[in-house]
Amino acid sequence: MTIRHRFTTALRGLTTNRSRSFLTILGIVIGITAIMLVVSLGAGAQALILGQVQGLGTNTIAIIPGRAPTGPSDTAQLYGDSLKVKDLVALQNKSNVPGLKSIMPTVLGADTASYGSNTYQVSIFGATDLMASIFDLNPTYGSFFTQDDVVSSNDVVVVGSKVVEHLFDNADANPVGQKIKIKGRNFKIVGSLPPSGGGSLFNFDSMAIMPYSTAQNYLLGIKYFQRIIIQAVSDAAVTVTADDISSTLRDSHGITDPTKDDFTVQTQQDLANRLSTITGALTWFLVAVASIALFVGGVGIMNIMLVAVTERTREIGLRKAIGATDSDILWQFLIEAIMLTVLGGVIGIILGSSLAFIIALILSRGLGVDWQFIFPWGGAALGFSVSAVIGLVFGGYPASKASKKSPIEALRYE
Amino acid sequence: MNIIEVKNLKKSYLDGETDTKALDGVTFSVRKGEFLAIMGPSGSGKSTLLHVLGMLDDPTSGKFIFDGKDIGSYSRDELAALRNNKVGFVFQSFNLLPRTSVLENAKLPLIYSDVPEHEWNQRAIKVVEAVGLGHRLHHEPSELSGGEKQRLAIARALINNPDIIFADEPTGNLDSKSGKNIMSILQRLNEDEGKTIVLITHETSTAEHAERIIRLMDGVIDSEELVAHRMTADAEYIK
Repeated sequence: MTIRHRFTTALRGLTTNRSRSFLTILGIVIGITAIMLVVSLGAGAQALILGQVQGLGTNTIAIIPGRAPTGPSDTAQLYGDSLKVKDLVALQNKSNVPGLKSIMPTVLGADTASYGSNTYQVSIFGATDLMASIFDLNPTYGSFFTQDDVVSSNDVVVVGSKVVEHLFDNADANPVGQKIKIKGRNFKIVGSLPPSGGGSLFNFDSMAIMPYSTAQNYLLGIKYFQRIIIQAVSDAAVTVTADDISSTLRDSHGITDPTKDDFTVQTQQDLANRLSTITGALTWFLVAVASIALFVGGVGIMNIMLVAVTERTREIGLRKAIGATDSDILWQFLIEAIMLTVLGGVIGIILGSSLAFIIALILSRGLGVDWQFIFPWGGAALGFSVSAVIGLVFGGYPASKASKKSPIEALRYE
Repeated sequence: MNIIEVKNLKKSYLDGETDTKALDGVTFSVRKGEFLAIMGPSGSGKSTLLHVLGMLDDPTSGKFIFDGKDIGSYSRDELAALRNNKVGFVFQSFNLLPRTSVLENAKLPLIYSDVPEHEWNQRAIKVVEAVGLGHRLHHEPSELSGGEKQRLAIARALINNPDIIFADEPTGNLDSKSGKNIMSILQRLNEDEGKTIVLITHETSTAEHAERIIRLMDGVIDSEELVAHRMTADAEYIK
């Protein structure tokens, strides 16, 4: 029997029982669809997050107070106030960090802002004028505050879209020139920001952004920074600059043992790698969950193939009586099972990627998220090969059972 | 020359803990071109004998020479090839593939043969027409009458031009008119084309189409007789 006839015989077996074939592959279709969906959406989410992180500039370096604890007795993470003005001065010294292009200390807080009788809980973000270029912020009205505002600790603020909406009763209002009150102090609005969008990693909608010096002196009452953001002169200079930052801060803090650092220097690449690892792990965890559906589908295939073998026992007997060998029968049923699972796999791949495409479309158009559809070639290859293997494994036992039947026992089967 | 020679053929089954002897030492031979009928009451071993002769079942002991060769040591695949090339089967219950056309059913043995594919259709149409189903080529078995189904089964048995046809109660599921039709076809195959036919039946009138009748009783040959006045095929069907 030629290979082509093995395939046509198997295909005829499947097409003569169309509804059963369809129901049989349903489990595989669902399993592969789920895997494709999860892998595609996972890749989309990863691309979105990484895109936003990298959008901050791959030459960006963040200094965070404290360090990742090495054990329960390691209290370094509590050094929340380790970054001070003297560190800023040391880092700005070109001989310490020659690769430094710009530096921006930041402070964070929260308080209630009011305008007339309206109040709104805002996040206070103290930074410098560099913030606009680092986070690519373009005010709808007005402009960002200036270097002079930072130096003079002026009472100026740039507000997010929700702050405008809640304080001025209208999201589209132009608040520039108005004064809002935070902690009893008047702040002049110099700019307002457009909505950040639902999928944005950094959401400035509820923020009141002001010079860090103003926030430190008048609102938070602190003398330290919660982050220092540094831009290196080039991507290539990031590693050297990060090392220079570490040694400068160690000198400034009198630390000789790097394991005792009370700060953490994090490059965008570190962050991107970490986020990539997290989203990747999450995706594969979900793939593992979806694989359970696939396994159940495989058991379903075996179940139906066993039923098919029993139901078609007389056919097996007849085929053997007219000259089919054991291997002809084995291949007939094995190819039937593999065809079923591969067909299920292909339908699942098409269905899963179509659903992922539709979801990407809804997210990007409907919700304004910059979500890209990514066809998961890896997921498709995995789905296709897993479904073929399932056919081989779960179809193998019924096929082997069918091939071993004696012709006369099979013919006599009632 | 004999196409089949069996000597002291035995076949027993384990029925629970009881050893049931279906064949208990059967010795006979079948000439090439002979029409042999095997008769016997239910449980006499006639079907078991046909299955062993048709290489669908193994004998427990004894010698089985087919076409001059002792097939006792043949592998399953070698037996399958013999069944494909040399043997045709006609079963009482037709055993046709459902939802498969007359033409495709007739062609079925060819997919396991060495016959080149370009000859398949031509061969199938020829045998289907030979049994009078030329107008039913693309019909499915469910659309055929009992007699037509059995004629299709005969066409399928003939497709590989076998030396011998084993017919297991071929008229058992048919009305008498269709039964006569089937017997006339088998008789023509024997007389005109020289096919050896081994027929199992419990009806004397059917057996009398054969040249010789072997009667089995309790797994042994009870009697053997030549048919003196062999029944001729119905004139209507010959026509």
